[in-house]
Amino acid sequence: MSDTLTAPPSAASGPPAGPGQRPRRVVEALWLVVPYIVSVVLAFVVGGLIIAAIGRDPFAAFESVLTTSFNTRFGTIETLHKWVPVLLCAYAFAIPLATGKFNIGAEGQLLVGATGGVALGILWSDLPMVLLLPCVLVAGALSGAVWAGIAAFLMTKFQVNEILSTVVLNFISFQLIDYVASHVWPDRGAGHPATTPVGEGALLPGIGQAPPMHTGVLLTVFLVIVIAVFMRRTSTGFEMRAVGANLRAAQVHGIRTSRLAGAGLVVGGAVAGLAGAIEVAGVHGKMLEGMQSNFLILGIIVGLMARGSMLALPFIAFGIAVLEVGAGSMQRTAQVPVEMVLIIEALILLFLLLSDIARAKIRRH
Amino acid sequence: MGEITEFLTLMIPAMVPFLLAAQGTVLSGRAGVFNVSQEGLMVLGAAVGFLVSFKVGSNVVGMAAAFAIAGVFGLVLAYMTTQLRLDQFVVGLALYFAALGAAGLLYREVIGVTMEPPLIPTLEDKPIPLLSDIPFLGEVLFDHDLVVYLAFAISVAIWWFMYKTRSGLAFRSIGENPKAADSLGINVTWARTWSTVVGSGLVGMAGAYLPMVYTGLYTEGMVAGRGWLVIALAFLGGWRPHLVIAGAAFFAGMEVLALRAQVAGIGIPHQFVLMLPYVATLLVMVFAFRWARQPSFLGRNYDRESRLVG
Repeated sequence: MSDTLTAPPSAASGPPAGPGQRPRRVVEALWLVVPYIVSVVLAFVVGGLIIAAIGRDPFAAFESVLTTSFNTRFGTIETLHKWVPVLLCAYAFAIPLATGKFNIGAEGQLLVGATGGVALGILWSDLPMVLLLPCVLVAGALSGAVWAGIAAFLMTKFQVNEILSTVVLNFISFQLIDYVASHVWPDRGAGHPATTPVGEGALLPGIGQAPPMHTGVLLTVFLVIVIAVFMRRTSTGFEMRAVGANLRAAQVHGIRTSRLAGAGLVVGGAVAGLAGAIEVAGVHGKMLEGMQSNFLILGIIVGLMARGSMLALPFIAFGIAVLEVGAGSMQRTAQVPVEMVLIIEALILLFLLLSDIARAKIRRH
Repeated sequence: MGEITEFLTLMIPAMVPFLLAAQGTVLSGRAGVFNVSQEGLMVLGAAVGFLVSFKVGSNVVGMAAAFAIAGVFGLVLAYMTTQLRLDQFVVGLALYFAALGAAGLLYREVIGVTMEPPLIPTLEDKPIPLLSDIPFLGEVLFDHDLVVYLAFAISVAIWWFMYKTRSGLAFRSIGENPKAADSLGINVTWARTWSTVVGSGLVGMAGAYLPMVYTGLYTEGMVAGRGWLVIALAFLGGWRPHLVIAGAAFFAGMEVLALRAQVAGIGIPHQFVLMLPYVATLLVMVFAFRWARQPSFLGRNYDRESRLVG
């Protein structure tokens, strides 16, 4: 495991900053931010060349990719609604990664979380919102935690590689939700595997009109603060970071590393499960096949781009949400297939990795 | 008897994608490069193999194109991990995303939206003369398309190379201790590079086989996680080509079993039957990681100038 993944190349490693060291801090901050800017620009240049090569206008394409989120209220709300599951899936990847473990199962954890949420939302549909909504969200988080817990159990007890177990659990979850949506609470009129709607009390209230923003966005902002405090200010958070930074040093200091790694996976699963419940309660009002969209991949991309910084995740996730919302309109207005955005995102990630090498070379001179 | 013959006859072609991709994974893995982009490379291989076959009209050219494009991705992985020493998992995941995007982009650009999905001819069965006349065995083993024979031949060739040749011994030592291998004058970087390029190419071929064998159609979800199962298969086979053949039979058997149970309608909802291969994978991994061996330098980069080795 390379250090660049789990420990951010942060300014904190330098001497404590006094008043005289402000220029130094600025320089360190630049070393952090500049690679992101350069990587994004380079990825767009390469992406633009590909778009030009297939005979479309790259400037028109990029204009609609970058501006759709901000041109209309609808675009902004859609971006925020995408930001929630992308960010939560990024946490589901980044929290276990802090202990050096790869969770490729956010998709399955999200779907099982949605199943848990939708189950209570349908079974207890008569309950008032003050009771039902918290139950739905908690059930989602717990279901996601249990699903990731299977992988954590196999990892800690039998040394089963967590990359494989979490991925395989995704494919099991696809069949599971298909079963729930076609046998347990099927909506026969939907023309697509979907459950019947949850009760009124299970829906996250909206803010504003045409279209309303669901309050899951505010809940996510709150969660961002909780996770940042947990990772930076609690001893468990510190131990998790210690395990990721140097496994052997952490073991020598008496940290129970394998238990901690398992706990990291379970917490990640809970966050992904919560994302599933929020999608049910805020966006769909039911569970349907395909609701996981490509959140798994986007979450991993965001988690890798943040390079161990929990603070950077929300901002990067917002950038990715902007690109994703823009992708659809790019396809409509510039006839560039939506997959182009995934290629650009992969390129940003690769250039970001390369920037570490470039930075090391430049700083040596 | 007829039931068993039919099951085995279906299982052998179902083994092919697992075999090709897993042997490719094992090949680079024994040199220490742990490729995790298989799922993406198989999807890209399926798309490119299908599109080239469709345009050129030859499955052979399609398969070669799939090998080539996946090999290029392998070259990027090899360069970034051996020369630049970037994290193997992270580069592998980035290539997985890029390959997924490229596959979707290519299919949309070449085919676009059509009323009738385009079709390519499926591979013909070429029974081997004499051998295919043997009762039972002939039907099960020697009456398939050419890629089936090729996949088994490649498996045997890789096993022969690794365990029966001197350079294979040197090759395997890289995955166990690259510093020791380096000190014996073995070129670690070159071995890791060629094995990753060829290994990734085989993964691409495995993907290309999928649209060519059953339906002649390309669909977006047709790889269905096989790329990930292949990694599980490499672990299950202890990263040894001959055991991987047995493991591939297990995975293919599960797949055929699930399909047949679904068709037969045995009273269990089909979703649970389709879960079977994945649940079985989880269970066998418990044994794989307990008892199977793996190269001790799997997934770790080698830096000649670093003292931290071993």
